[in-house]
Amino acid sequence: MNILSLSLRNTGRNLQRTLVTTLSMAFACFIMIVFSSLMEGMLQGSERQVVEMNMGDIQIHTKGYLDDPDIYAMITDTDTIIDALERQSLNAAPRLYAYGLLAANMASAGVQLRGIRLRHEKNVTKLYQHVEKGEWLTQNSKKSVVIGKKLASTLGVSLGDELIFVGQSSDGFMANEIYMVQGILKSVSDGIDRSGVFMLEESFRELMALPTGFHEIVVSRQDRNADLDALTSQLQNRIPQYEVKNWRQLMPVISKMLEGADAQMIVMLIITYVAVASIILNAMLMTVFERMHEFGIMKAVGVSPWQIVRLIYAETLVQTIFASIVALIFGWWASSYLQLHGLDMSSFMSGSISFGDIAFDPIWYSYITPESLMTPIIFLVLIAMVAVIYPASKAAWIKPIDAIYYR
Amino acid sequence: MSSLISRLALIPFFFIINLAQAADQRTTDILAEIDDLWRGKSSYTLATLNVKTKHYTRSMTMESWSKGKEKSLTRILTPLREKGTITLKSGNHIYTYLPKTDRTIRLSSGMMMGSWMGSHLTNDDLVKESRLEEDFDASISFEGLRDGGDIIEFTLIPKADAAIVWGKITIEVEATSHLPIKEVFFDEDMNISRTFTFSGLKMMAGKIRPSIMRIVPIDEPDEFTEFVFDEMTLDIELDDNFFAKSALKRL
Repeated sequence: MNILSLSLRNTGRNLQRTLVTTLSMAFACFIMIVFSSLMEGMLQGSERQVVEMNMGDIQIHTKGYLDDPDIYAMITDTDTIIDALERQSLNAAPRLYAYGLLAANMASAGVQLRGIRLRHEKNVTKLYQHVEKGEWLTQNSKKSVVIGKKLASTLGVSLGDELIFVGQSSDGFMANEIYMVQGILKSVSDGIDRSGVFMLEESFRELMALPTGFHEIVVSRQDRNADLDALTSQLQNRIPQYEVKNWRQLMPVISKMLEGADAQMIVMLIITYVAVASIILNAMLMTVFERMHEFGIMKAVGVSPWQIVRLIYAETLVQTIFASIVALIFGWWASSYLQLHGLDMSSFMSGSISFGDIAFDPIWYSYITPESLMTPIIFLVLIAMVAVIYPASKAAWIKPIDAIYYR
Repeated sequence: MSSLISRLALIPFFFIINLAQAADQRTTDILAEIDDLWRGKSSYTLATLNVKTKHYTRSMTMESWSKGKEKSLTRILTPLREKGTITLKSGNHIYTYLPKTDRTIRLSSGMMMGSWMGSHLTNDDLVKESRLEEDFDASISFEGLRDGGDIIEFTLIPKADAAIVWGKITIEVEATSHLPIKEVFFDEDMNISRTFTFSGLKMMAGKIRPSIMRIVPIDEPDEFTEFVFDEMTLDIELDDNFFAKSALKRL
């Protein structure tokens, strides 16, 4: 007896039943694929939000700068360090920081001024894509700044308005200059939203009378899966005179929160999987018990119990494979649609919001990994195989006479 | 008879109370003298400000006007880079006029602890420059010879409701002239935070006064800020409008 051709013929015999079973499995599997890629997207999204908007993977400062951001605590050999990092195919961007007062009309607010080198910054952070109004800095924006969202509303300014910065330059003079608002950022992180002011390196140096040096070098990896801790200690060993910290060390709370979110998502995935498993189990039970009469006749004509088990397993396999293919096609399609266009949640939350140091985009993007596609399918096959153990053994070892009269 | 004894017994009490009142009165008088030393009802001063920090040394000349303790206006004369920068104190607010940008801005509360003109004084020091006897409970803590001079030392403890950042202040004055020698500011943990020393006695506005005030932060003993008064006129005629925000650009 050729089990495969028999099982194919059996599945084809009652197309309606086969279709219902297969499609319910396919639908369950489809839901799992979309759900796990959305979850993956949320995880990756919050980490990327932190890393790509501001922190980078690793930051380099002079020792003690993080505790006391002193304008004189400069990294002096910035170019040498950046060259070395780039040779190791890491992206790096130098930054300058200063604190002062930003005033517009009669409103004013304390700000953190950031002097950036455009070409490098673009390789490390995606801030330039995160402008809500106006545009990001260009080489010509010598007298322009891009400011944080809450800062703009505190000062009551919009694009093209005039801002006056007052601070103390490095030589003890009163640094003051007029700048124009060129762009207002979307929500990035609490710090940047409230007090972030971005300007070109050249403008910063002129304003604060700092001809050389930088306060910070931000490093980002091209390969996101490389070991961050190993890279951090490797860099630290190479430049022992500076302090090298990765974003997980710099933001332990956020890092812990994301790890916690990871565990939460696994719990949510398990719950969904269990719910899906009960659908599959139900479908398989029905298909077998419905045909108990038929199995009884097969046994009566001399089919052995093991042959029946193999037959039921073969049929299940045929159906699951078909269901997997359908689920994979539609799941992949839906996930890549969401990866591209995202799920617009803006009707539930107003604009982009930031919580702590992570900004949440109102659009929820999914992220497809091989795991998010394959895990649901492997799980579907496993559940189906487990689910038919009971009905298959029942059918295999039932007395033919009972089976024939089985109701 | 008994009434006589009781009356006699009361005498020492009266005596003590009178003494205490006299001591209080003396404290108040001397502190008022110190308060008015550079201020009067109104004043005009021409001063040089020397600042030395680890990272820079700079010198500025400035002229300032004051009326009462609520209003003062300071204008930088040199160096050229900051010429015309005006700091206006009006009540609890500080406004800065910046000639480079031709704008007047009000310093926010967040900036109050920031340095004033790169010196060791904060903007808050300018605002909080209040009359000593109003915000502090003062008492004489030492009287007699110290470091070869006859001095009186006052200890000032901030009143419970006064918005003062210091734990206490001690002021040393010369016993006969009542001219200040030294002021020591203690933080809330009663550690010394900074010292003001006064020197350079000189005839100004009809009276011998110290003309040099030097501020040294205790954590950076090599740094200092020094005010040298070159000229002083007290009790001049000044209109309130002189201290109006709108007047800043006209100066």
